[in-house]
Amino acid sequence: MPTSASTHRPEDLLTRLRSANADADAKLKALREVKNQIIGNRTKKLSYIKLGAVPAVVSVIAATADDCSSVLVQSAAAIGSFACGFEAGVQAVLRAGAFPHLLRLLSNSNGKVVDAGARSLRMIYQSKLAPKYDFLQEKNMEFLLSLLNSENENVTGLGASIITHSCETSAEQNALCDAGVLKKLIGLLQGSLSQRDASLESIATVIKSNPEVVSKFVGPENGRALSAVTELTKDRYPRTRLLACMCLIVVRNTSPGCLQDLAIRTKLILILLELLDDPGQVGDEASFALSSLIAEKEDLQKLAFEGNAIDKLCNHLQKGSLQAKRFQGILLALADLCSKLENCRSRFLALQVMNSVIDALTHDSGEVRAAACICLRSVSRSVKNLSAGNFMNETVVIPLVQLLSDTSTSVQVAALGAISNIVVDFTTRKSIFMQCGGVKQLVQLSKSMDPTIRLNSVWGLRNLMFLADNRCKEGIFLELTASLLASLICDPEPSVQVQALGLVCNLVDGCINSVEYVFVEDSIILQAVGKQLQSTLKAEVGIQGMYVLSNVATGNEFHKEAVMHQLFPQAGNSTQPIIIKFLQSNDSRLRTAAVWTVLNLTFPGSLGAYGRFVKLCSAGILSQIKNMANDPCLDVKLRVRTVLGQSLTFDIIHPFLRRPATTWYNPLISVFPFRAVVWLARQMGTDDQVQKSRTMMQPTFLFLVF
Amino acid sequence: MSLFCIVIRELEEIESMASSKKVITREEWERKLNDVKIRKEDMNKLVMNFLVTEGYVDAAEKFRMESGTEPDIDLATITDRMAVKKAVQCGNVEDAIEKVNDLNPEILDTNPQLFFHLQQQRLIELIRNGKVDEALEFAQEELAPRGEENQSFLEELEKTVALLAFEDFSNCPVGELLDISQRLKTASEVNAAILTSQSHEKDPKLPSLLKMLIWAQNQLDDKAAYPRINDLSTARLEDPAV
Repeated sequence: MPTSASTHRPEDLLTRLRSANADADAKLKALREVKNQIIGNRTKKLSYIKLGAVPAVVSVIAATADDCSSVLVQSAAAIGSFACGFEAGVQAVLRAGAFPHLLRLLSNSNGKVVDAGARSLRMIYQSKLAPKYDFLQEKNMEFLLSLLNSENENVTGLGASIITHSCETSAEQNALCDAGVLKKLIGLLQGSLSQRDASLESIATVIKSNPEVVSKFVGPENGRALSAVTELTKDRYPRTRLLACMCLIVVRNTSPGCLQDLAIRTKLILILLELLDDPGQVGDEASFALSSLIAEKEDLQKLAFEGNAIDKLCNHLQKGSLQAKRFQGILLALADLCSKLENCRSRFLALQVMNSVIDALTHDSGEVRAAACICLRSVSRSVKNLSAGNFMNETVVIPLVQLLSDTSTSVQVAALGAISNIVVDFTTRKSIFMQCGGVKQLVQLSKSMDPTIRLNSVWGLRNLMFLADNRCKEGIFLELTASLLASLICDPEPSVQVQALGLVCNLVDGCINSVEYVFVEDSIILQAVGKQLQSTLKAEVGIQGMYVLSNVATGNEFHKEAVMHQLFPQAGNSTQPIIIKFLQSNDSRLRTAAVWTVLNLTFPGSLGAYGRFVKLCSAGILSQIKNMANDPCLDVKLRVRTVLGQSLTFDIIHPFLRRPATTWYNPLISVFPFRAVVWLARQMGTDDQVQKSRTMMQPTFLFLVF
Repeated sequence: MSLFCIVIRELEEIESMASSKKVITREEWERKLNDVKIRKEDMNKLVMNFLVTEGYVDAAEKFRMESGTEPDIDLATITDRMAVKKAVQCGNVEDAIEKVNDLNPEILDTNPQLFFHLQQQRLIELIRNGKVDEALEFAQEELAPRGEENQSFLEELEKTVALLAFEDFSNCPVGELLDISQRLKTASEVNAAILTSQSHEKDPKLPSLLKMLIWAQNQLDDKAAYPRINDLSTARLEDPAV
């Protein structure tokens, strides 16, 4: 048998290929052998590439006349195989300058040569590394149309691949549509199996995120094209079914008005769930398609839930030994399913697949690790389970904390997302997180140069600080330091500022000693808060900053006066105090925060309350508040009335103000169960889960009972 | 085909009627059969589809000349496909791989499972021929890297290599790998892949029509007594049992 090492040795084969005096037959034989060695065999492709086989083959094709069809066919096939599904191969092929030679083959008179050339070019165009095709040049568009109009199946396939690879901007989409390419592609849906698949993929590319082109696709001839694609979702070939589904998903995601029919949407979900069972590439991609269908769309998530999607996906997880791509896809689909609906999360947790997800946290592939974190983040949005402390245990927390030092940024960010939720713990188990070095890691990452990492790590710290006990707070603060916290408040990114301010809010919440934290190191933190409030243009920063002041204003006399100082930094200056601007804001959340601060500053019962009241009056703040007695926002209205009520006590009971503070204890206000309110708000669920659930994870206002 | 139409129509009719079993006489049944018009060309296409898919190239050529039915595929490609199939059936797997690659290099490059099964078959043939050293080298060089890429391939590889541990294959728990049926399985997998690459359905239409006929007859059995076809090779109508 010719398998013995000597004749198949790559080095010998290449010598034969390169030798100038070898006859055509010897070259042909060598080419064919190289081709047969590398097809289907990644390892061999790589070793041949390292030996410089690609330039050798390209120089053969370059030196071969048009009528030597067998040499042309064999060398084109070898080049195509190097480029097939293998990025290093595509790179080598492009670098060796194979492109123009393959293009030349398309005009050969021998059909087999044309086939071989078109196939190889198609392989190259299936890679991201292929050069971008400029559709906006007239000559290029003509060439593309000539490809699509060809009788040769491989050539039309090449045309479709070029579109799938290169069409990105809406200008290009419109140009393709205007040149009649879309119409041509729709025509190809009636063609052979490979033409159908290629054109489905191209159509999806041409219409994606372009409502104008979608309407040209859906509209004409009573939606003939759309029903043709819908019909193909029932095709006998799984790949065709998948591509047809993906095409419809693009239509739906681009123009939500299309595909209103509930039956089609349900069917799409069911087909995709069924395709998950395909053992090959189709099964791998089906979960990604499902994700793109349901992501951010609660109605579709509900439909998927009713279609038993959670059970089906979890079944695959339980089977174990999944390929990386499939594993990633399934985790991401589960993440999307559990992103909004509590019943999805409950079902997921009931199916006992957490172990698979935890295993995935230490998977070899970074994409799988990140997907596992994203899945955990979605599932841990379940307040019910968070409050039961169901995620705060070593098996989950230790691998997550380890991922904070992952080499991939996307894994780090994903791990931070999951951690941020999990540390919102209502039981007293935050120490588990601290014991495994989580705080140190978070603090380290909050100094990162990458703004996303900084944002997410501060977010994590903020949630960790939520309802933390005194020992916990002290531990975090020691690690974090006042100066780092002050610099985070003044971070160049407003989103980081917001999280840092939220962190301070949670830090000063609780017992009165906590308020002292903002006064250490010459009140460096409070100064930073004041500075941001004076200069910020972002409402979100203003809201968080005002709540910090509002919380500090619940402290003792000294604390309250410090807040006054931040509100009126330049005594005697005639410029309007910043709080007036906040009270007049269009954002009701900002108005609420500002009124709360005034409310706490003027809360009767403390000695300086009247003095502050007078100062606020003379700055025009009280009259502004009086104008807000009928604020459209109920929350604002309620607080405004409390402030006005308090001001009334100053007017009436002024002579008695020196009586002990407890006399003015107002049970209605002081035992205001703010935690219960936060709790209820969270239970009601929100549209934008990550953002809002986290925002609400912090107490936004606070009263101290004294 | 006409019979199938009738059975279905009869089913529908009875469905809407009373529950008692209806008796359909032979004359009645044949009259109904004659009423169904089926184009001769369609029947010819069905036959051609069968010949082409199953690879009877000479018969297809003759049938084309006699009936004027054009095959939906270049007949030359059938010869190539049959050569591949035959090579696998005879155990010349390397030869088969080269032939597939000449036919269309994409088939094995984009179908890792098929490629693995062909390589596995190659290994089986080496073991069958007692070339132990060569088999081991081949398994290490060619198959082990595929096993690294895919867990299920690794399992299959382990099973195949287990053959080497047995002197007497008849005692080997994985001995069925050496059966001729394993070759046939691999051969039909290649055949299907080539057909798919040619945008051709991998199964002929005729057998599925016959399956549908049997299904429909079974459905009708519950509801009526009618002239049934029991022997599909002669398609003779049996008298209804009353």
